[in-house]
Amino acid sequence: MEAVLTHHLDINAPLNLQAYRAAGGYRSLNAAFDRKPEEIIETVEAANLRGRGGAGFSCGLKWRLRGADAPRPRYLICNIDESEPGTFKDRHLLYGGPHQIIEAVIVSAYALQAEQAVIFVRGEYAKGGNGLRRALEEAEIAGLVGTNIGGNGFDLQIEVHVSGGRYICGEETAMLNAIEGRRPNPRPKIPRPSVKGLWGYPTTTNNVETLVNVPHILLNGAAWFHDLGVNGGCGTKLFCVSGMVQHPGLFELPCGTSARELIFEHAGGLAEGRTLLGFLPGGASTAFLLPEHLDVPMDFDPVAKAGSRLGTGSIIVLDDTTCPVQVTLNLMRFFARESCGFCTPCRDGLPYLAQILTAIAAGEGQAEDLALLEELSDIIGPQSFCAFAPGAVTPLISSLQGFRKHYESHIATGRCPFDAADRNGA
Amino acid sequence: MNDKLDRQALQRHLDQLPPMHPERRAAAVPMMQALQIEHGCLDDAAVEEVAHLTGLSVTEIDELATFYSLIYRRPAGRHVLRICDSVCCSLRGADRLLIAAENYSGVPLGKISPDGAFSILPSICLGLCDQAPAALVGDEAVGPLDEASLEALLQRLREED
Amino acid sequence: MGTIRIENHEIPFREGDNILKTALAAGMEIPYFCYHTALGSLGACRLCAVEITPKDPGKAPQVVMACLEPARGGIEVSISSAAAQQVRQKVIEFLMTNHPHDCPVCDEGGECHLQEMTVACGPPYRRYRGRKRTFTNQYLGPLVHHEMNRCITCYRCTRFYQDYALGDDLGAMRLRNEVYFGRFQDGPLASPFAGNLVEICPTGVFTDAVFRQHFARVWDLKTAPSICPHCSIGCNTLPGARDGMLRRVRNRFHPDLNRWFICDRGRYGHQYSEHPARPLTSRVDGAKVSYRQALAAAAEQIKAVGDKTGGLGSVREDLEGNTLLRALLNGFNGIFTAFSDPRLEAATITAVTALQNTTGAPSLAEMEQADAALIVGDLTAHAPMIDLALRQAYRSGARLAVLHSGPTPLARFAATALAIPPHEMSVCLSHLSERAAAPSAANSNQKEMLANIVVSLTASHRPLLIGVTETLSASQIAVLAQLAAALGPGARLAYALPGANAYGAALLSQTGRATAMLEAIETGHIQNLIVAGNDPLGDTRLGARWRAARQRLDSLIVLDCVATATAEAADILIPVAAWAERSGTFVNYEGRAQGFTHTFRRPEFLPSTAEVIADLARHLELVLPDIAAALGDTFPGYQAPVPGAPGSPLPAPAIPMHIDTTIHQGCESHPGRWQAALSTWYGDDPLASFAPALTELVPAVAALISPAAALNEGIKAGERVRLQGPAGTVVLPVQPDNDVAAGTIALTRAVLAQLGAGHGDPLELEKVS
Ligand SMILES: Cc1cc2nc3c(=O)[nH]c(=O)nc-3n(C[C@H](O)[C@H](O)[C@H](O)COP(=O)(O)O)c2cc1C
Ligand code: SF4
Ligand code: FES
Repeated sequence: MEAVLTHHLDINAPLNLQAYRAAGGYRSLNAAFDRKPEEIIETVEAANLRGRGGAGFSCGLKWRLRGADAPRPRYLICNIDESEPGTFKDRHLLYGGPHQIIEAVIVSAYALQAEQAVIFVRGEYAKGGNGLRRALEEAEIAGLVGTNIGGNGFDLQIEVHVSGGRYICGEETAMLNAIEGRRPNPRPKIPRPSVKGLWGYPTTTNNVETLVNVPHILLNGAAWFHDLGVNGGCGTKLFCVSGMVQHPGLFELPCGTSARELIFEHAGGLAEGRTLLGFLPGGASTAFLLPEHLDVPMDFDPVAKAGSRLGTGSIIVLDDTTCPVQVTLNLMRFFARESCGFCTPCRDGLPYLAQILTAIAAGEGQAEDLALLEELSDIIGPQSFCAFAPGAVTPLISSLQGFRKHYESHIATGRCPFDAADRNGA
Repeated sequence: MNDKLDRQALQRHLDQLPPMHPERRAAAVPMMQALQIEHGCLDDAAVEEVAHLTGLSVTEIDELATFYSLIYRRPAGRHVLRICDSVCCSLRGADRLLIAAENYSGVPLGKISPDGAFSILPSICLGLCDQAPAALVGDEAVGPLDEASLEALLQRLREED
Repeated sequence: MGTIRIENHEIPFREGDNILKTALAAGMEIPYFCYHTALGSLGACRLCAVEITPKDPGKAPQVVMACLEPARGGIEVSISSAAAQQVRQKVIEFLMTNHPHDCPVCDEGGECHLQEMTVACGPPYRRYRGRKRTFTNQYLGPLVHHEMNRCITCYRCTRFYQDYALGDDLGAMRLRNEVYFGRFQDGPLASPFAGNLVEICPTGVFTDAVFRQHFARVWDLKTAPSICPHCSIGCNTLPGARDGMLRRVRNRFHPDLNRWFICDRGRYGHQYSEHPARPLTSRVDGAKVSYRQALAAAAEQIKAVGDKTGGLGSVREDLEGNTLLRALLNGFNGIFTAFSDPRLEAATITAVTALQNTTGAPSLAEMEQADAALIVGDLTAHAPMIDLALRQAYRSGARLAVLHSGPTPLARFAATALAIPPHEMSVCLSHLSERAAAPSAANSNQKEMLANIVVSLTASHRPLLIGVTETLSASQIAVLAQLAAALGPGARLAYALPGANAYGAALLSQTGRATAMLEAIETGHIQNLIVAGNDPLGDTRLGARWRAARQRLDSLIVLDCVATATAEAADILIPVAAWAERSGTFVNYEGRAQGFTHTFRRPEFLPSTAEVIADLARHLELVLPDIAAALGDTFPGYQAPVPGAPGSPLPAPAIPMHIDTTIHQGCESHPGRWQAALSTWYGDDPLASFAPALTELVPAVAALISPAAALNEGIKAGERVRLQGPAGTVVLPVQPDNDVAAGTIALTRAVLAQLGAGHGDPLELEKVS
């Protein structure tokens, strides 16, 4: 397969404007400006481009639902807050090819007829953010961004916002607050940001990986995009594989590639003599899958059918030397620490879960703790204010099911059976 | 650190907020970041300056400053080393790195090393899982690290400036 | 309007309302923490879980937050479903993981919403085995005590403080289960409404620091419906007393006035009644005597001089006391007025007359609906709750215009704020009034701004004009009324009057009587003066003249509950009950008569003013009508308002008065280079200035002048100037302040009293080298 999104990426020496153009960059602008915005949205919808930020919502549909007659100004936000553990694809896009991002933002903003765009970069990627700003300056000087772009009356202002740093800032309504200079707590879901978003105006937020597909779809068409995928998937996907594999890394592969192929062919498989315990298919807030799920196509619907989510397409691999209780505890501490503190179930419930898991991991668990974890999770997930806490309890609930025996043995023996084992394999 | 900040650039930034941002508070985070570079951390004087620039109160600035992980309200060492302790790095040995880092610096995580050379902070996933266990030195990514390469790194930082 | 089924009852709802609001309005209980009627929904605490069953039978029941879910026709809501109860129980369990188990020693005990909800919804036992997070507390000043460990993070405090009251020095810091509500640094909360935190917090994080000093359990407190005595708004309050001592004051809901909140003067001013210097025993010529002896002495004095007796009532004295004192004076043809300053007398009477000629002043709730307002003077100090009402109007988009001579916090929220020297205020107001009647072109920058104000008032649907009586002259007050009339029937007019019963006092007084009284004393026509709740000797403008006149009196008889300069100088002093120790009536700025009843009795014998006067009349063998009859004579059809009820308009015959709106250019033009402006603060009134916790917050005394004036004079901030007024000189540091008008020196009441100057009077300023 030919790489589409990673074709010109170079983390160490990203292409400048001239080189990017020489390699065919910014060609999609003409393709876009030749069409009506609605046509572009139709094409993107026909391509079945689904959001790469975690929820997998259809990009074209989201754009269409915003409405062509939405009040002005309209905002587009490109989400590069990437903080989901296990996910590093957006970093490659940012550091490796800033002009690809700017091109994608321009054509997407044109499709949405948005005159203001913010590219929101996580604070830990500040260096990448600076590279992006330099690229943006080049693009502005070249007249690719600004007023009357391409001579057809379309104005676009782009801003790079480097975050102060917090996982929750990636949540689209928290991000609106972050950009406005308010505390980045999420906002209520009614009215939707597409109606009342940044500064009260219609706002569309997409993950950067979602957006960088748009120029290619414009240039090559929806059918081409369909053909890129396998097993019913559409387009390519930037898969991250990390954890207990020989060669962690980023792999651009057809959407629908199996986890088996990703883990064992592309990421080099497990260390000598190890067996697979399980894996998170889409980042830290997805449900664990087990070895029996290795052949599930890594695409939105099949992974959902298997009981998890494709999420960001980031596979985190556990082998038989890893203690699933420890891993789950690590995840829970992450979520308890990153909770914005707005709503009760998340703010006070997650530390409660972490406390119970700490006790179990340390061999101090009690018989009723497993039922308690489930009882609490059943409230914390569904009853919290935003999607953060449901994501936080998802791996726990699946871990309690998939790795039940491990929990029981911690409690029964009063110790972690992996304590002696070497957990630093790979 | 202690680069003299271009105050005119800050003012230009404020002037250029509209029409994208109708309120000056939109400049709060960029201003905090800029002043933190100058002051080494966002000390009280810096909070006051950001408040002045954005028209918010010092309390309103502090509400933001204390939320963000990359805004330091207390002094940090000359170098800030952020070691990832999230799942992928932890699977590959981050816990041992954190212990080693603490032992090497002789102070608990989060505190400034006695010579002022560095502060070591545990961090959430840095998006460097393909280089796990990984860390950021300032804005520079390093990894995969082991105890030996970490100590060498700290040694180097200690000797720098 | 549709109906929704809640717990099998058909409940009507208003379109756009949520389930929680709908249920509460119908008197059904759904537990909640973060919701508040004044603050609306937030959706953070997740306690208000209910189960809804959609109309569509294919859809499964679902637990939702009642505060966020719109009420819709056809859905069934269950508060008591097992699923909803489960959620509430877990929410409480989560909150209690960190909440200390300190109920036995907590100030909130007995009125803690968290405690009630925990008993009602929570699990009976604790399962969490971990450590609790702990915080350090901040010093937030003398009024509010901070105990962060108890926090349940409902964000009510900051939503009230920042979003509702527009304060900016209390905020939410940090995140996760470490969210911390506090200030940038330790220090007193700056908002005039900070004390409401005590009531808005559902648990014991913010508690009443003054109450703490003499703490009592709520169930041990004696309470009774009362009316705040500290300004003319008449906020409804609930004082609490124990063991013969007033411990605290809380808000009491009034649907049109204060509703959920009161200002800090109203909450903490009550400490005056516990002030160590408060007169509690009668004195004759400095010697302590019994009440009877004092009465006998007073009667003897009055008999000795016959009809040469004057009676000075007060704007802070209740309707009963003023009315009976006037009736007593009528008994021997003496002079009565409630005002020691003729200017204030004329201004207040003019204001009341102007209101009588319109639809009357709007309630606070109506003021919040204004879409444009013109404010003349500093409302924050003179009527704090009007300031809060206007902050609500501002939040809903009203354009505020403020004309002021000295600092005023509302200027910050004003679309137009103009600093006008007192002597130019008349011209300014006339200009506005003329323009409203006949628009014309502007010919100066200031005139253009005034023109904009008129445009904004004319363009609005519900314009509101408010003047501060104490800093306006009678003619200025009349011009403001003219402006209101010119704006048409939609325009509303109100005045911040100078005391809790100023409206009532004005109806009992007559313009010119204050001058007449003073002159009669100076010429010996009055030899005996009865003062009830007034302080002529401490008057800012005329104090010196009153002190001189006092020398000519045979005797000064004072009835009061605070140690004013006049009380200190009394020949016969008869202490009276403070407001919470007696029953009475105040007539507020709208002309609404509201009754209050005594919360408790002190161990000392302390009659009300009206009771003292009735006793005095008996000693004089004078036949006085009883209080009810006296009130009925004065206000035909009068019925005493029932304490606890919302009050009713005082049936008052219109004051026959010709209002003179001609501005006498000559006499109002600037006589010198500098003139005084009264600049006070929200904690200042004749009673509250005896409340120690409030007086801790008095702003530093300085001479405030505009920065331009400071530059002109070559005076830097902090350098000292000598001010010279008719009654004396004062040396003060200078503080440049943008809100002070040109040629104006903004000074506190106490400094003005030392200088003998009132608002607008000329002063001399000289740099001290
Ligand atoms: C807690 C939380 C964190 C999130 N973080 C990110 C993120 O870092 N990057 C991202 O693209 N989307 C993130 N999302 C998803 C966004 O809210 C949003 O759905 C997404 O950016 C939409 O883009 P897409 O439709 O292109 O996927 C997060 C969501 C939640 C609930
Ligand atoms: S506004 Fe006036 S009446 Fe109301 S509480 Fe405050 S001081 Fe009392
Ligand atoms: S009252 Fe509904 S969530 Fe708090």
